[in-house]
Amino acid sequence: MLQYCLKRIFRACISLIIIIAVVFCLLRLMPIDSYFPNLDDMTETQLYNAKEKLGLNDPVPVQLGKFYTQLLHGDLGVSNRYRVDYPIMKILAKKAPISIKFGLLAMLISLPLGLLLGVLMSRHRNGLIDRIGTGYVVLMQAVPAAVYYLMLQIYGSSWTGLNILYNSNVPSSIILPVVSLALPSIAWYAMWLRRYMVDEENRDYIRMARAKGVPERAIGFNHVFRNAIVPLIHGIPSSLLLTISGSIYVESLYSIPGMGGLLVEVIKMQDNSMVQALVIVYAALGIIGLLLGDILMAMVDPRISLTKKEGAR
Amino acid sequence: MDRNVILSIQDLNIKFTLRGQTLHAIRGVSLDLYDGECLAIVGESGSGKSVLVKSCMGLLDKNGFVDSGSILYDGQDLAKYTKGKEWEKIRGGQIAMVMQDPMTSLNPLKSIGWQIGESLKYHQGLTGEAAKNKVLEMLSDVGIDDPKRRYGQYPHEFSGGMRQRVAIAIAIACNPRILVCDEPTTALDVTIQAQILDLVKDLQKKYHLTTIYITHDLGVVANVADRVAVMYAGDIVEIGTCQEIFFDPKHPYTWALLSSLPQIATAGEKLYSIHGTPPNLFMPVRGDAFAPRNPYALDVDFLYRPPYFEVSPTHKAKTWLLDPRAPKIEPPAVLKEIKNLKALGGEWGEQ
Ligand SMILES: Nc1ncnc2c1ncn2[C@@H]1O[C@H](COP(=O)(O)OP(=O)(O)OP(=O)(O)O)[C@@H](O)[C@H]1O
Ligand SMILES: [Mg+2]
Repeated sequence: MLQYCLKRIFRACISLIIIIAVVFCLLRLMPIDSYFPNLDDMTETQLYNAKEKLGLNDPVPVQLGKFYTQLLHGDLGVSNRYRVDYPIMKILAKKAPISIKFGLLAMLISLPLGLLLGVLMSRHRNGLIDRIGTGYVVLMQAVPAAVYYLMLQIYGSSWTGLNILYNSNVPSSIILPVVSLALPSIAWYAMWLRRYMVDEENRDYIRMARAKGVPERAIGFNHVFRNAIVPLIHGIPSSLLLTISGSIYVESLYSIPGMGGLLVEVIKMQDNSMVQALVIVYAALGIIGLLLGDILMAMVDPRISLTKKEGAR
Repeated sequence: MDRNVILSIQDLNIKFTLRGQTLHAIRGVSLDLYDGECLAIVGESGSGKSVLVKSCMGLLDKNGFVDSGSILYDGQDLAKYTKGKEWEKIRGGQIAMVMQDPMTSLNPLKSIGWQIGESLKYHQGLTGEAAKNKVLEMLSDVGIDDPKRRYGQYPHEFSGGMRQRVAIAIAIACNPRILVCDEPTTALDVTIQAQILDLVKDLQKKYHLTTIYITHDLGVVANVADRVAVMYAGDIVEIGTCQEIFFDPKHPYTWALLSSLPQIATAGEKLYSIHGTPPNLFMPVRGDAFAPRNPYALDVDFLYRPPYFEVSPTHKAKTWLLDPRAPKIEPPAVLKEIKNLKALGGEWGEQ
């Protein structure tokens, strides 16, 4: 198990290093203008000196090497347009925790509810619950998120009297955005769990369990659910990280100062070093999500841990 | 042999609904199972062997149902059972089953110790340390070396033959009176098949089990069975002791089955095979279901379904050839080649 984890972590690091190199090189191909807001007014020497200061005159591999060392020290560089010369790390340190808080809260709600709905739907297949649940899933999938986010914001706030915008001083104002984030996740968990459970129902070992007289409830939990949850578990960390990093709509609707809209914003401003830093952070989150998924999966599925092989003939 | 009837199936009809059509899978089967015996059920694919035994455990697929008839066990009619609760008492504890494919019949995420323990928990009320000791005992009973180490291992760490042993341990751990083996060796290679077969025989003695053994392989039948039931198109067309079926078969379908045994084929000659295909069970079957493929068929075979004709108290067959008015027809000459059962079961080793 430990060996497996180390292997996975090692591979994740390699992927990250490669991604950083690609992102870095791609951004070097961009026109140089974006680093200097007042390019037109600068003389050749001024430009040369400014570039020298940023290390842009070195050959790309040298720059890349320097960038890696810099990253190892936890330094993502400084912003050059969004907030001129301000360390990017500090910008993120303020914004990320807010997004993380919302993401975690949404998952705290959506995971249990989604799993419960999935179990109920598969238990009462083609029954009322299943129909309602399917309707809900289809709705979440087919209707653009912006539509129901907006409806929830407008009607949710007018019917219940909750704040229409997020306000860090009013605790109840987090309810609507968190619910908004949770709604599609609930549908996602329910849909996949139902599907996997229905698949499991037809397995030979479920027949076997039934043939040995195990009560239906115990079959449902120990065999069907236990096996169905495995593929789902793999996706949970990724979906959490996706919620954290990608809740652009919700954060802008409720004017939450998280990092949701940040990437779009800095691209528009052509803040190259911010773009570079954010893309790398998102890539890292994605890789960490997959890594955690793999490790969680290995914890629940004995077939995956690659050690302990001697028993097989 | 003890002649107590333990399970009695009477005029059982089972149907499946499939896309609005009805498939008549079991067509009026009657069968008495005697305490302590080993009954083999043979017949080609699709003849209804699995459906028949599954119906005795309430394990029919959702689209299948008992249309009429009864399954009497212990003073109760199992055919009337509808609720899962009722079946839970029968399944495992009274009738246990070993399935065909050991690669898929064990839960991949649970240790085999856990899976055997699950049987013990529901049928013998054992948990904790007592259960664990019992599991270890079961493991060595079914011939798994080093049970202590194997206890915590998962199915993927076992070979096919070992998994089938585990599956057998799971069935036996339920403490059943009847053990159903539905082609337990079909998915395994020949040497392993012989071992599993011996194991089933040993366990039958040790635990006083009544066994139903389903197989395609007549060599296996000769080796394990006390009685043989031959199924064709959802009906038992002939049933008798092992001796009677092999040395004095009466039904043309049994003749055909025996003629196609590789053990009696002469070198250089083509192996006998039965022509045609079994009837379509979506349609009503008129007369004897085997008639269209039967070279000895009489006119009456195409019109009326034959009843059982008794050959001896233990031997009966459904064929008009046994009617006193029927012309005398000799079974095919090759069947004389069957001289002793040992030779048939030869590849299964001495017993
Ligand atoms: N769920 C089902 N729906 C429809 N038909 C079914 C179903 N299960 C079985 N049957 C039909 O019932 C008949 C008997 O099937 P069964 O599985 O008992 O055959 P078998 O004798 O066990 O064959 P094999 O030797 O291949 O295992 C077949 O014609 C099969 O198509
Ligand atoms: Mg079968």
